Amino acid sequence: MSADVRTISLAAEENCHIFGENQCGFQEVSPGIGLFFPEPWASFGLPLTSGFTKYTVLLVLSVLLVMAFWFFTTRKAKIVPGRGQSIAELLVAFIRDQVVRPGMGKAGDKYLPLMLALFTFIFVMNVMGLIPGAQLPVTSNLAYPAVLALFVYVLWNVIGIREHGFGSFVKGKVVPSGAPVWILPLLVPIEIVSNFVFRPVTHALRLFATMLAGHLLLAVFAAGGFYLFNLNAGGLLSVVSVGYSGLSLLAFLVFTGFELFIMALQAYVFVMLASVYIGEAIEGAH
Amino acid sequence: MSDRQGAARNSGERNVDPASVIAYLLAGMAVWGGLGWLADQALDFQALFLPIGVLLGLALAVYLIYVQFIRS
Repeated sequence: MSADVRTISLAAEENCHIFGENQCGFQEVSPGIGLFFPEPWASFGLPLTSGFTKYTVLLVLSVLLVMAFWFFTTRKAKIVPGRGQSIAELLVAFIRDQVVRPGMGKAGDKYLPLMLALFTFIFVMNVMGLIPGAQLPVTSNLAYPAVLALFVYVLWNVIGIREHGFGSFVKGKVVPSGAPVWILPLLVPIEIVSNFVFRPVTHALRLFATMLAGHLLLAVFAAGGFYLFNLNAGGLLSVVSVGYSGLSLLAFLVFTGFELFIMALQAYVFVMLASVYIGEAIEGAH
Repeated sequence: MSDRQGAARNSGERNVDPASVIAYLLAGMAVWGGLGWLADQALDFQALFLPIGVLLGLALAVYLIYVQFIRS
């Protein structure tokens, strides 16, 4: 059973509502960080692992969905595209013109399949947060964005070293052009840390944090809609509580739509940054 | 479409990572503030070189952003 269902059922048992007889507060039903630590269905007892959880299932599901999407939309490509093929072509053109070309130029076209796969994969993992029954964005667990960001990090370093050789690649990344020589000893440590430490970290954290915060926000509004609904409060208070509950559920609806936008945006931002990093590695000194 | 973007790219107009500005600021404060903290530990000050280092790192990061993104 997932954490959000546990919270709600616990609240239902205790009959926890506003103006209720047992005077319980919202903190007793409000969802917390426990949402993102679902109980494992199978644990292998390995240290530092969380076992086979909802995240694992949704991850496998995302992989299958993305594979199925690209398989079925491109299997029998025609000159006059059908519905599925049109969507696929639209996606390809979007990623090529908005992500690959601005970040890497024409030389980046060979990375187009990678960027497409990353974009669709991340988007599907994010959207798992809105699918009824799933309701948990896979990327809200730091492990998944971290692995993807690490992959991109290794990739752009390898590309840079292969294009320019180790020495000149590192020099181009670490020595800022256009600064006087005497100030370089002060600037180079900053460049090293910002390019090789903060860059991959922020790349992963941005996706993780937006997904975690967005999902938590939705959960709070949903739980609020439940907590604020109390017909037994008596008289005016009942009306007030129903009004509050309606507002909370309305906010839940609005933010669900907003969250869908954020999910697409964050997937786009992730691949956009990946393409900028790879583009810089191809180009060398900046 | 591709020609226009190719031209934009050649004229020096291209995507930069907007987060790298924040990464520079954080890295500047972390590196020089960290060195300041180490100096404090070594020389038995409570907090003398730490704020100096943080401010120095911030100033250097702002200068670095100026050199990298504005002047070039």
